[in-house]
Amino acid sequence: MVLERPWKKWVFFYLPLTVFIIGTLFPFYWMLITAIRPDAELYRSWRAATNTPFWTLAPTLEHFRDLMAKTSFPTWLWNTFFIAVVATIISLFCGLLAGYALARLKFPMAGTLGTSIFVTYLVPPTLLFIPLADIIRNFRLGNTPWALILTYPTFLIPFCTWLLMGYFKTIPKELEECARIDGATRFGAMVRIIFPIAVPGILSAGIFAFTLSWNEFIYALIFLSSPEQKTVPVGVVSELIRGDIYFWGQLMAGALLGSIPVAVVYSFFVEYYVTGLTGSVKG
Amino acid sequence: MKKPISGGAGSAANVVALPRSGTSAGPAGLTRFLESERLLAAMLLTPTISLLGVFIAYPFVMGVWLSLSDTSVGNIGHFVGLKNFVKAWNDSIFRTAFWNTSFYTFWATIFKLTLGMWLAVLLNRNFRGKRLVRSSMLLPFIVPTVLSTFAWRWMFDPTFSVLNWLLYRGGFITTKLPFLSDGVYGMWCAIVVNTWRGMPFFAITLLAGLQTISSDLHEAASLDGANGWKRFWHVTWPLLKPVTVVVVVFSIIQTFSDFQLIYVLTGGGPANSTHLLATYAYQIGVATGLLGEGAAISLFMLPILFIVVWVQLRYLRRLEGA
Amino acid sequence: METSNPLHRRTFLQTTGAGLGAILASRTAPAFAQGTKLNILRWVDFIPACDVELKRQAGDASKALGAEVQFEFINGNDLQPRITAAVQSQAGPDVIMMLHNWPHLYANALVDVTDLADWQGKDQGGYYNQAQAAAHVGKQWLALPHGIVGLQIAYRKSWLNEVGASAFPKTYEDLRQLGMKLKKKGHPIGQTLGHTFGDAPAWCYPLLWNYGGAETDKNGTTALDSKGTVESVKFMQAFWKDACDEGGFAWDDTNNNRAFLAGEISATLNGASIYIAAKRGQDKIKDDKGEPMVRDIDHAPIPAGPAGSVAYHVAFSHAVMKYGKNQKLAKDFLKWLHGKEQFSKWFQVAEGFSVGSTKYWEQHPLWTTIDAPMKIYRQAAASSRMFGYAGPPSAKATEAYSKYVIVDMYAKACQGMKAEDAVKWAAGELKKIYG
Repeated sequence: MVLERPWKKWVFFYLPLTVFIIGTLFPFYWMLITAIRPDAELYRSWRAATNTPFWTLAPTLEHFRDLMAKTSFPTWLWNTFFIAVVATIISLFCGLLAGYALARLKFPMAGTLGTSIFVTYLVPPTLLFIPLADIIRNFRLGNTPWALILTYPTFLIPFCTWLLMGYFKTIPKELEECARIDGATRFGAMVRIIFPIAVPGILSAGIFAFTLSWNEFIYALIFLSSPEQKTVPVGVVSELIRGDIYFWGQLMAGALLGSIPVAVVYSFFVEYYVTGLTGSVKG
Repeated sequence: MKKPISGGAGSAANVVALPRSGTSAGPAGLTRFLESERLLAAMLLTPTISLLGVFIAYPFVMGVWLSLSDTSVGNIGHFVGLKNFVKAWNDSIFRTAFWNTSFYTFWATIFKLTLGMWLAVLLNRNFRGKRLVRSSMLLPFIVPTVLSTFAWRWMFDPTFSVLNWLLYRGGFITTKLPFLSDGVYGMWCAIVVNTWRGMPFFAITLLAGLQTISSDLHEAASLDGANGWKRFWHVTWPLLKPVTVVVVVFSIIQTFSDFQLIYVLTGGGPANSTHLLATYAYQIGVATGLLGEGAAISLFMLPILFIVVWVQLRYLRRLEGA
Repeated sequence: METSNPLHRRTFLQTTGAGLGAILASRTAPAFAQGTKLNILRWVDFIPACDVELKRQAGDASKALGAEVQFEFINGNDLQPRITAAVQSQAGPDVIMMLHNWPHLYANALVDVTDLADWQGKDQGGYYNQAQAAAHVGKQWLALPHGIVGLQIAYRKSWLNEVGASAFPKTYEDLRQLGMKLKKKGHPIGQTLGHTFGDAPAWCYPLLWNYGGAETDKNGTTALDSKGTVESVKFMQAFWKDACDEGGFAWDDTNNNRAFLAGEISATLNGASIYIAAKRGQDKIKDDKGEPMVRDIDHAPIPAGPAGSVAYHVAFSHAVMKYGKNQKLAKDFLKWLHGKEQFSKWFQVAEGFSVGSTKYWEQHPLWTTIDAPMKIYRQAAASSRMFGYAGPPSAKATEAYSKYVIVDMYAKACQGMKAEDAVKWAAGELKKIYG
C-alpha cells in the first residue's frame, strides 16, 4: 500500500472522477429534463430571463404518455429486443464454435480463415447494403425481422469469434487433455469441459453483441418499412421527427426509454463483462 | 492475443498419446468422425462460413461489381471500369470527406485512448459505490448512438443550445457559438460526441487489462503524483500495451467507417464540410441513387483500413513475440 | 402421381377461381383478395392534423375498396433513401409520395398513371405548370399530382414596424437593408443553407433565377457560370453577413419554424406551417409582450431581383411503384383519394398549407373564410418554376438537387469562398452531372 495524503487523493482521484461522472452523465440528465419539460418551456428563447434550462417548474409526463399511446414505440421496443436477442444467440453460437476451432484445432488454412473472418469486420456496411437488399429480396425477407436477424451476425460473428478465440486460448490445454485421457471424446470435452469454463467470455461476447444489435441503424433503416416492424433507433428518427417542430420532448423520452433495457442488462452483468474481457485480453 | 494455434508447451507430449481418428476404433461413426481435428473443425466452422459467405462474401463481390458499373436506382448498370473511382478521386467533396474521416478517426482515437486509460486507472481503485460508478460509466457506450447523438444535437442546437446558455451566462461569450453551423466547429463537436461515446469501451476493456496485472501494482497505478506517473509508465503501461493495441484497432475500424453519428448530428453539412466517407457514400449512393458511385466511395475505405489494421496487428505480434 | 398432381392443382384452381369470381361478381365491393394490404409512404406532414386526417381516410378507403389501406409517415429527409432501398429490394410501399420532380429520377421504377392524371386534370380544372413539370416525364405521367406546398416569407409585423418598415420589402436589396436593421436589434432573418429538402432549395433556386442565372440553357447544356449567377451569390454573401442568423448553416426544414416561434428571428421563408402552428398553439406561443404571436405574423412573397420574382413551390405527387403487387388497387385508391370529395376534406384540414395541383381548388370556399395572412397562398402555385430551368426538369436536374449543388454554392460562398470560385465549383459539379 502506498500511503496517500488526503489532499492528494482529492486532487488526483475524486476530482477527476467527478469530472468524468459529470461529463458522462450530463447528456442523460439533459435527456431526462427535456423529456419532462412542458412544450411551452421548450420553445422559450435561450436569452429569455425566465429561462431555467437545468430544471423545470412544471414537470410533466405528457411526453411519455404520448410516446406510449400515440406512436408504436412499445412495438419498436419489442422488435428491437427480439431482433437483438435472436441475432445475438445466432452469433454466439457461430462465434463459439468457430472460436473454439480456430483456437484449439489444427487444420490447414486455420490462420487464413481466422484472418479472413477478421477482415470481414473491415468491410464497410455502406458498401454492403445495396447488394444485401438483393439477397433479402431473393429470400423474401423484406420487411420482416429476419432481414435484420440474418444480417446483423455479419458484424457480430467476427467480433464474437475474435473475443472467444482469445478466451479459449487462456484456458489451459491440459484440462481438455485430462478429460480425453479419462475417455471423453473430443467433442464431449469441448462441450462439457471447455464451454462451461468459457462462460464469462461467452457472456461478455453476448452482452457486446446485444449492444451492437440494439445500436444498429443503417440496415434497419433500409430493410424495414412498415411502422410496426421498426426498431427503436429507426422508429425514433423517422417518426418522431415531425415536420413542424421536432418533438424534442417525445424524442428524448424515446431515447431514455430506448436505453433502459440495455442499461438494465449491463447493470446486472457489468462484472461478468469485465471478467470476460479480462480473460480474453489476457490471451 | 494471436498466439500460434498449437497452444502451450504441455500439449505436445499429450497429443502423441491421443487416439487419432482412423487408427483407433471409435464407439460410433459420428464420434470417430468428430475425433478428426480437420473434420471437427470443418463442422464447427460451417455455420460461420456459410453465414458470412452468403451475407458478406457474396454482397461484397456484388458491391465491387457495383463500383465498376454505372448502376443507378431502378436502372441496370453497365461495366464502366474504374470510372467511378477516378470520378470520386477528382471530386472535391470526396477529398474533404476523406480528409475529415482521417482527422476524425485520428483525434477521436487519441482522446478515447487517453481519457479511457485515465478512467480505467481511476476505476481500478477501491472506493465506495465502485460498482454503481462502473456501470454508469458504461452508459454512453450502451445507449444507441442515434438516440444519444440526438441529445447532443439538442445540446448543440443553433437556437436553443444549453451549452451556449451556460457560456453566455458565465460571461464567456456574447454571441452564440456556431457549434454545428460551422464546418470546423462541427467536426470538433462530432469528435467530442464520438469520444464521449467510445471512451467507456476503452475504459472498461483497459480496466479488464489492468485487473490481469498483479494486484500489488494496483495502487501504483493510481496516478497520485509524479511518482505514481513514473510507475504507471514503467510498470503498468508495458503490460497494458497488447490490450491497448487491440482496443485501438477495434476503435479505428468503427470510427473510420462511422455513419450514424454524423448522419444525425450534421448530416454532412454545412455545405459538405463534415461529411465522412460513409455518410458521403450514403448521400451519393442511397439518397441520390447513384449506386455505382456510392459503392466506389465506400470501397475506398477498405484498403486504408486494411493497411492501418495490418500494421497494428503486426506490431501486436512483435510485442507478444518479445 | 408426380405428373398428375399439377394437373389436379390447375383444375382445382380454375374451378375455385371461377367460383370466387362468381361470388365476387354478385357483390358491389371491388374484387380484391381478402386481407390485401395497400401501403402508402408519405412524409410526416408539417401540419400534424393532415396526417391524422389521412389516417382517418385510410379507414374509409379500406371499407370502400375492400382492402386494408395503411399509411406510413417518415421524416421528409429520409424519403429518398427509402425509395432507393425499396426499388433495389423490389419490396416496400405500394405508393410513395414524391416531392419536387423526383418522378424523373425514379422513372424506370414507376407505373404509368397517365389515365389517372388525365382524369384528374379534366375533373379539376387543369394542372399548374409546376405540378405538370414535376410528374410528367416524356409522354407519360409517372405520378399523380397531389398538393403543392406554397412557400412564402413569414415575418413579424411589429418588429418590421419598429425599424420603420410599413410593408415587406419588394426587392432583394431592400430586404437586405431592412434585415441589417433588424439584425442590429437582435432579430435577424432566418434562412437555412443546410442539406434539407424544402426551405433550402426554395430559397436558393429562385435567388439564382431572379438574378438571371440558370442551371442550364434551353437545350439542357449547363450554363451556370454566368454574370447573373455570380451577382446572386454576391448578394447572398452580403445578405448573410448583414441580415441573417448564422446558425442557418446547420438548420433543416424545422429549425426556422422553431426559431421563429421562439422569437429568435424576424422573418423566414417557409410554408404556412409557422402561422398555422402559432394559431393552433395560441395559448403557448406568445410574443415578447405576452400576446399570442399569431396576431403579429404576416406573409410576403419572395422579393424581386433584376430578372424577376419567380418563386419555388414544392410539388407533391403520389407514385405507384412498379414492384408493387397491387398496382390496380393502388390506382383505385389514388382515384378515390384524389377525387374532389376526399381531397376536399384533407385540403380543408391543411388550411392553405397545401393547395391543390389544379386550378379548381382556388375556388374552394375555404379561401373566403381563411385568415387574411393566409390568402397569399391561394394562387401561389401559379408562379413557380421547376429545377433544371431553363432546360427541361430532367432526372439530371433532380440529381443536382439531391446533391444540393445549388444550395452548397451559396453556402460555400457565405462561409467565405469567393463568389466566382463558388460558382465555378458548382458549374463543375453540374458539368459532371449533365456530362
